[in-house]
Amino acid sequence: MTHPVTIVMIEDDEGHARLIEKNIRRAGINNQIRHFLDGTSALAFLESAADGPSLNGPALILLDLNLPDMSGTDILVRIKREEGPLKRTPVVVLTTTDDKVEIQRCYDLGCNVYITKPVNYEAFAQAIRQLGLFLSVIQVPDIDGAA
Amino acid sequence: MTITDRLFNRLVLGAVVIGFLALLAAGGLIGWSIQRNQDYNQAVDHTYQVQGAVYQYRVLAERAEAARRGYLLKPDDRYRQVFVETADDLPPAFDRLVDLTRDNPHQQARLDRLRPLAAMQSALMRQSADMVRRGRQISAVGMFRNDNNLATMESMRTLLFDIGEEESRLLKERAARQERGVSFLKWSLGLTLLLLLAVAGGSVFVIFQYTRDLTRSRRDLFKLNASLESAVEDRTVDLRRANDEIQRFAYIVSHDLRSPLVNIMGFTSELEAASIPLQDLVTRAEAEAPGILTDEAREAVRTDLPEAAGFIRASTQKMDRLINAILRLSRDGRRVLAPELLDMHGLVAGIAASLKHRTDELGASITVEALPDLVSDRVAMEQILSNLIENATKYLQPGRPGEITVRGRMDGIRAIYEVQDNGRGIDPKDHDRIFDLFRRSGVQDQPGEGIGLAHVRALAYRLGGVISCDSELDQGATFRLSLPAVLLPERASE
Repeated sequence: MTHPVTIVMIEDDEGHARLIEKNIRRAGINNQIRHFLDGTSALAFLESAADGPSLNGPALILLDLNLPDMSGTDILVRIKREEGPLKRTPVVVLTTTDDKVEIQRCYDLGCNVYITKPVNYEAFAQAIRQLGLFLSVIQVPDIDGAA
Repeated sequence: MTITDRLFNRLVLGAVVIGFLALLAAGGLIGWSIQRNQDYNQAVDHTYQVQGAVYQYRVLAERAEAARRGYLLKPDDRYRQVFVETADDLPPAFDRLVDLTRDNPHQQARLDRLRPLAAMQSALMRQSADMVRRGRQISAVGMFRNDNNLATMESMRTLLFDIGEEESRLLKERAARQERGVSFLKWSLGLTLLLLLAVAGGSVFVIFQYTRDLTRSRRDLFKLNASLESAVEDRTVDLRRANDEIQRFAYIVSHDLRSPLVNIMGFTSELEAASIPLQDLVTRAEAEAPGILTDEAREAVRTDLPEAAGFIRASTQKMDRLINAILRLSRDGRRVLAPELLDMHGLVAGIAASLKHRTDELGASITVEALPDLVSDRVAMEQILSNLIENATKYLQPGRPGEITVRGRMDGIRAIYEVQDNGRGIDPKDHDRIFDLFRRSGVQDQPGEGIGLAHVRALAYRLGGVISCDSELDQGATFRLSLPAVLLPERASE
């Protein structure tokens, strides 16, 4: 792993973002976490920012489905499209929705992991910490064309 | 049917009845009139008989006189023979005349005057004929010349003529009466015929009218039915759309409500976690530098912070449960129903078996009577009945062993199921309320959010059924579920 993996968090709720970050840190993950509050700026970063993953090494995306400017599934489609540079980038959908249809759709669109945010904070913290542990062991592919 | 319609019908019926009564009366009139005509005919006939008798008597009297005169002129025995025979016929002819005119006092009076004349004439005639027979022809002729024979005969003729005249007058009168009778009969017949035509025409008209009305209303009914069907169809589509809308709304709202809850819970926990080092600090300060520690700070860290966090946590957890309940309702509402033939007895027995552990603990018993099978959605039926039976085991009257009975019957095309218990019962004023979401009734000593019965009612409505409650406080409760025996599969609405 030549470059450290950047964690890109797309989450419109700052509280959620803070809680997620805290718990990831508590799991001992020290990778850089980039947080975006809406889909547009997140996509801009992912696809064209100078220090973004498309040009600059591997990344892992934490994606919320309920965003103010676009649906999380739209972003998922964008990331996982066949000709896209990020199609192999792992995407973890982290959302409050536990609807079966929605979960199926996300996996159909190529999401790698689907996690429901539990309202119960102990469960939530537990889930995020386990995700952190998971993040510490998974292999993330390098981006094609990246240095 | 409106008042005027009823009035009209009565009028028509009345008219028909009156028409038939009039016909009956006309029939009677005709019968009576025929009878009367017969009487008239008899009277006329009688008059003819009387006239005939008068005529016969006159002829006999004249003939007897003529025969006597012939015998006086020429004492031939043949004349005498004719005279005797004719004279013998006279009294019976007179008697017959008396008989025939017995109803007429005028004629009787005339006959009374005629009788002595006839007797005298007859005696004279017999006397002279006798004298001739005995050869005293001369004295007989002499007596003939002297007797008042001519005047007597004249008187008799006059009387007989009067009698004949009287009968002629009667005949004319009776014939006129007979003619009037016949014409009356003709008129009555004509009138009856008209009446008959009127009644028949009226009846035909009424029948025609009724048939036309009937046909028209049947056609209207048919049209109404057709439009009703399409109206129901439209309304059903509207309802389904509204229902879908509400389901979607509930779904979105409950999800969006969850997001802030995650924060509240999360940061409350963070606060709690953060208060632990603070508490340690207070403990250390107490030991090392009691001077810097105020009572307020100690109170805030040791009591207020954990208490506030505890309340926030409890409320948030409750809110989470409520949101989950709404979510579940909305999810059930969107589930596509799959009607199948359900063995209801088996289904309820299964629910009872799954609750056996609990009922054994409570000393309660569940009796499942014969239940009609039905075609419906299995999951929905299981949820409805297990909710009802669970409720029955939950709200028992303390000190009374629970007896729960599930029974059912068919009512036309609907199946009725009843879950009856002998528990604490429900105040009648709460019978509607208990089916509302988050509403409960009675002593709040059992866990629950007031969701079960709301869920049951929503499911019952979806299955095309209704649920009602029958209960008094302390008298147990009976929940009655009425469902279509066959649930038609839903058309795919989305």
